[in-house]
Amino acid sequence: MTEFDFPYMVTPNVSEDVTGGPTGNGRALVASTNRKRSLPTAIPLLPYFIFITIFLGVPTVALFVKASRSIEGSTTPALVMAMQSQYRDAFIYTFKLSATSAAVGALCGSILALAVSRIERPRRLREFVTGFSGVAANMGGIPLAFAFIAALGAQGLLTRILYHWGFDLYGSGFKIYNFWGIVVVYLYFQIPLMLLVLMPSIDGLKPTWREAAMNLGASPWQYWRKVGLPILSPTLMGGFLLLFANAFSAYATAYALSSGGARLIPVQIRFYLQGNTITGRGNLGYAMAAWMIIILTVIIALYLVLRRRAERWRTA
Amino acid sequence: MKPRRTTWEWVVIAFASLFFFIPLLAMARFALQRVPMSLLGRKTLFSRWTIDGVVNIIQNKDFVPALWLSVRIGILTALVLLLLMLPTVLWLHLRAQKLKLLAETLSLLPYVVPPIALVVGVSGAFRTSFPWIITSNFGLVPLYVILCLPFAYRTLDAGIGSIDLRTLVDASSSLGASPLTTLFRVLIPNLWVSIASTSFLGFAVVLGEFAISSLLLKPTLPMFMVQAQGQEPQGAMAVGLLLLLFTTLLFFLIGRFQKRTLSDTQHTTRGAS
Repeated sequence: MTEFDFPYMVTPNVSEDVTGGPTGNGRALVASTNRKRSLPTAIPLLPYFIFITIFLGVPTVALFVKASRSIEGSTTPALVMAMQSQYRDAFIYTFKLSATSAAVGALCGSILALAVSRIERPRRLREFVTGFSGVAANMGGIPLAFAFIAALGAQGLLTRILYHWGFDLYGSGFKIYNFWGIVVVYLYFQIPLMLLVLMPSIDGLKPTWREAAMNLGASPWQYWRKVGLPILSPTLMGGFLLLFANAFSAYATAYALSSGGARLIPVQIRFYLQGNTITGRGNLGYAMAAWMIIILTVIIALYLVLRRRAERWRTA
Repeated sequence: MKPRRTTWEWVVIAFASLFFFIPLLAMARFALQRVPMSLLGRKTLFSRWTIDGVVNIIQNKDFVPALWLSVRIGILTALVLLLLMLPTVLWLHLRAQKLKLLAETLSLLPYVVPPIALVVGVSGAFRTSFPWIITSNFGLVPLYVILCLPFAYRTLDAGIGSIDLRTLVDASSSLGASPLTTLFRVLIPNLWVSIASTSFLGFAVVLGEFAISSLLLKPTLPMFMVQAQGQEPQGAMAVGLLLLLFTTLLFFLIGRFQKRTLSDTQHTTRGAS
């Protein structure tokens, strides 16, 4: 914990100097920054702003412009059409899959984080788990899909072992590219991400709170229900939203698992764009991408609000 | 206080280890053992382990060009990312504190615009006006820089926040150093951990990125893996395994660097105060 506190212990001193600390140097700097505060300070930042405008802003605007047009043989804007009957199904499917993988991931990740935080003895265990989580949380994409095809594919190692033990996984309807298959694969990066999100908050639970509760006669279960969980709940909710956004925008893993046939929105977008000259439905691909941005904006905004609420407890 | 009994904790960790290591083991077996799944049993468990699959895929005529393209794009992305972000974040800390919130919010936008939406927007916006970005293999570089913005900003911001930037700059300039000398001889040596972390992370992202390169049909390493999966599944699996190992190594190095900075900063501030 002291390691994490450290940077925050240094920075306040720096900013105090700027706002008129005891050193003459600091006051001189305040004067100089005051004098040229208005426009020039922004000029060295122009490359950054311009870069983002060109490579992120312009494409996003273009996306929404194309999405607001209609597809061939129709007058309905593609943006509206993408939320109608057959196309809406893909959104519902993606939503369900993201929510399921986020809920299961958040639950398993929380249990794992709690377990790791309570084990003291091999001190390196905790270090190892967080280190590994950093890698696994970033491990999306093709290699992850390959690893799970090798383990849980029709000819996978685990599938085979389970069959040997008398459980026919594929006979029960499981397929690595179906709903539950994709959920299980996504858990590989969802659980570690949840652990990384939650770990600092678990560390932030002050031992004195627990002692106070115990002294007042609370059982461990009562402590968790009345104190621990309410304090952690903004982080838990925030973590769920982050995991949802993570699953919602994932593309490569699902594509490789299903060889491009998954019903997920990101994979469908590719289908409509590649067929756009033939079918004239390219604008539908833009509309789906636009809806992805809208949905993710809402989710991330909620996440930021919750994160701010979670931080209240850490500064107190 | 006597040590807490930790039974369920260890059960949880055991299950988690199974979940996280079985896929990697399965991948390694598939890549390195030539025994069909249906024949795998107690007797054949240790037979016919070979690196032939790895050797074959490396000799595939498309492998080296794909790897080389990904490596070049990775290095260029890391360079552009640093050229863009290091001066920006330094300036934000030194002279433009008021714009920090805006700049930080902008750096988070790639979370809202996922890679698949970004590439769709780019092909819609630039197909006629600026086709280089779609036709050239290196048109991927600016798009990958965008993908890297969130963590690049945060890594550099944390690194710069942990040094006493203003004192360093003041001391250096009062000793007569020009701003460029200050940057290269004072700031960069003090910030090398966050600089290295940023570029390693950027490189790792590029090596694994698939959504953008597949929609723009660029022959990068992940594209090669997907294409090879059909004809040479064992080789494709081997490349996946190597990529995973390499990425893990990069992350491990980043972790080591960062641990070292923490002890470094502790040391310097103790000396300063």
